[in-house]
Amino acid sequence: MTHRVRSGARAGLAAAAAGLLLAGCGVGADPVQNPELSDGEVTITFNWWGADARTQQTLDAIDLFEQEHPNIHVEPQYSDWNGYWDRMATTTAAGDMPDVSQFDQLYLASYADRGALLDLSTVANILDTSALGDKMLDAGRVDGDLYAVPTGGTTNGVIVNTTLFEQYGVPLPDTSHWTWEDMERAATRLTEASGGEVHGISPFGSDSFSLTVWARQHGGRLFDEEGKLAIDPDLLAGYWQRELDFIDSGAAPSAAQLTEKVGLPLDQSDLVTGKTAMSFIPAGQFSAYQAAAPDYDFALVNWPADSDTEPGFQYLKPSMYWAAASTSRHPAEAALLIDFLTNDTRVGELFGLDRGEPGNPAFRRAIEPTLDDSGREALAFTEAMSDEVGETPPITPAGASAIETVLARYNQEVLFGESSPREAAEAFLNELGDSINAAG
Amino acid sequence: MSALGEFRTLRRPAGRLSAAEKREQTRDTKAAAVFLTPWLLGLFGITIGPMIASLYLAFTDYNLLQDPKFTGLDNIRRMFTDDRLAHSLQVTFTYVIVSVPLQLALALALALLLDRGVRGLSLYRSVLYLPSLLGASVAIAVLWRLVFGAEGLVNAFLSLFGVEGRGWVSEPDTALGTLIILHVWTFGAPMVIFLAGLRQIPRELYEAASTEGASRIRQLFSITLPLLSPIIFFNLVLGIIGSFQSFTQAYIVSGGTGGPSDSTLFFSLYLYQEGFTSFRMGYASALAWLLLIIIGAFTALNFWASRFWVFYND
Repeated sequence: MTHRVRSGARAGLAAAAAGLLLAGCGVGADPVQNPELSDGEVTITFNWWGADARTQQTLDAIDLFEQEHPNIHVEPQYSDWNGYWDRMATTTAAGDMPDVSQFDQLYLASYADRGALLDLSTVANILDTSALGDKMLDAGRVDGDLYAVPTGGTTNGVIVNTTLFEQYGVPLPDTSHWTWEDMERAATRLTEASGGEVHGISPFGSDSFSLTVWARQHGGRLFDEEGKLAIDPDLLAGYWQRELDFIDSGAAPSAAQLTEKVGLPLDQSDLVTGKTAMSFIPAGQFSAYQAAAPDYDFALVNWPADSDTEPGFQYLKPSMYWAAASTSRHPAEAALLIDFLTNDTRVGELFGLDRGEPGNPAFRRAIEPTLDDSGREALAFTEAMSDEVGETPPITPAGASAIETVLARYNQEVLFGESSPREAAEAFLNELGDSINAAG
Repeated sequence: MSALGEFRTLRRPAGRLSAAEKREQTRDTKAAAVFLTPWLLGLFGITIGPMIASLYLAFTDYNLLQDPKFTGLDNIRRMFTDDRLAHSLQVTFTYVIVSVPLQLALALALALLLDRGVRGLSLYRSVLYLPSLLGASVAIAVLWRLVFGAEGLVNAFLSLFGVEGRGWVSEPDTALGTLIILHVWTFGAPMVIFLAGLRQIPRELYEAASTEGASRIRQLFSITLPLLSPIIFFNLVLGIIGSFQSFTQAYIVSGGTGGPSDSTLFFSLYLYQEGFTSFRMGYASALAWLLLIIIGAFTALNFWASRFWVFYND
């Protein structure tokens, strides 16, 4: 036992040393303007996270790309979300960041600010982003420079297991205009009707997307344009209080039961196993949930709100991005792959809605006839929401990439009664604020 | 104790060597150097080199992606105001102080039992040793999460007696306890060492004691434990060093968070989070050195205290 642990520590130190030696040369090198594609054999690495279905779709897309460009070999690297960013940090520190990576808005500024990502204007001769429109591309800019191409956008929604509601004879309220009280009442009734077998709802947890929607619904915002924390501690305390209320009324499972599910992959979540009937999810993931739970019928509806809430609290969050490494030795080929992923409609057909509602309108037209029921429902939901979405807020600033980890920790303190929502909210804002200041 | 003696007899007296013997010695030295090279490369490449690097990084602000900036004693100052560091130390000390003695006591008890001449000893020894081989693995940690989960084996067992269980790994008051049990369960390695130690105790001592009418308990305290004390000491030192560095179990059982609510935030897990999740590799390096100092201090304390209870039969 000691041996393993020690060798682990040693490996960590080795990584740190490698970082030290390489930090001096690699990261942040001056990129070449308009690089040329090579005629010879080139191998580039391509890195993404996701469930099995996405892995297969992406491997198929790579095959198409390699057929089109026989001299380019794409080496896939993929993993689950957990562990993806740890590995990204270590490989980047070692000067060995994959040429092309799937990115998330949580980490975009942290990596771009520190010079790890390729400024995509330097490869504009190869990468054509015109299909996406300026508003969409803005979500990939950091300090005005484009570092990442959004794949698409998604709003947040409430997924409802209608099978469970029917099974226990609990009517669903009118979800087109429902309040938090309506939701809690329906959820509590479901828990009671099932004798505690299932619970009505899985509350927010550590997801910063739902926190952002909550803040907007209550007239606030998480970050301002300068990348500083802008949320009122009362708003955050209210968010956690909402969760406590769900638990107290029996609408949601106990704190311990919720904690046990933290960090589990989608197919083991309470929603898929039928332990809870409602949850807050990015609409783009609706099909993934439906595919993982074929025995249940799911529906996707808008968030509840208080009766006096202004519309526009939902927004189109960039679901994910393609980015290239500033240390890439093949920026031209990396740009070519991103261009292919962004513009070739066959890729759109392969991916469907898995990476959000596509930002490229040609993709949307291409996939519409190919969608199954759940896909059509997700697309219909996002289109219906397009009237309701407001301005897209700024992305997570550098230094705040760990927001969901920190959020999860304080969330647990609140759930287990170790801190009041208000105390936890202030401590959370202090800790994350320090982290942002230190990075700035 | 005896190893040192053997080493002395192995060492040939210096001087008075013939030319042929000298040549042979030079050749031996060269051969030794060749055989040692892989180890030396490892020592400098992946132990000493990185340690020097981390010593430098401990005095810098290093976010992994940009060059480290020298910040003097900032990281050390930060330690004094870091509540999570204090908390992780508390968790780690609790873990070490509870799990190491428990594990050694269980290992010693089973070794004493097996030493009394059980039939099929080698089978028992292997079976009891098995958890030590598996205990630090990811698979076992995942299994642990399931066994102690709300719908796990432990609760299924308790419900047979009408006791209502709880989510052992997901509640802050019990999560650390499950990790302590996991550590105690890997008692096989010290047990095997104890068994070997017990075999070294001369049987005549017991025979003589029996003739004199000493009870078994008396023999245990007057013969077995004193003669076994160097082995107990060895296991204690290794056990403390090992459990201070525990990482895998807490990482997997808590999903990398040290949760629920930081109740399993081992020192090495906190260090890992600071370095790789919060991008504060400079501070993480400083923490690594703090851990080294703590382990060094504990080991020194152990050696000092050993004078009062370890009995060397030289």
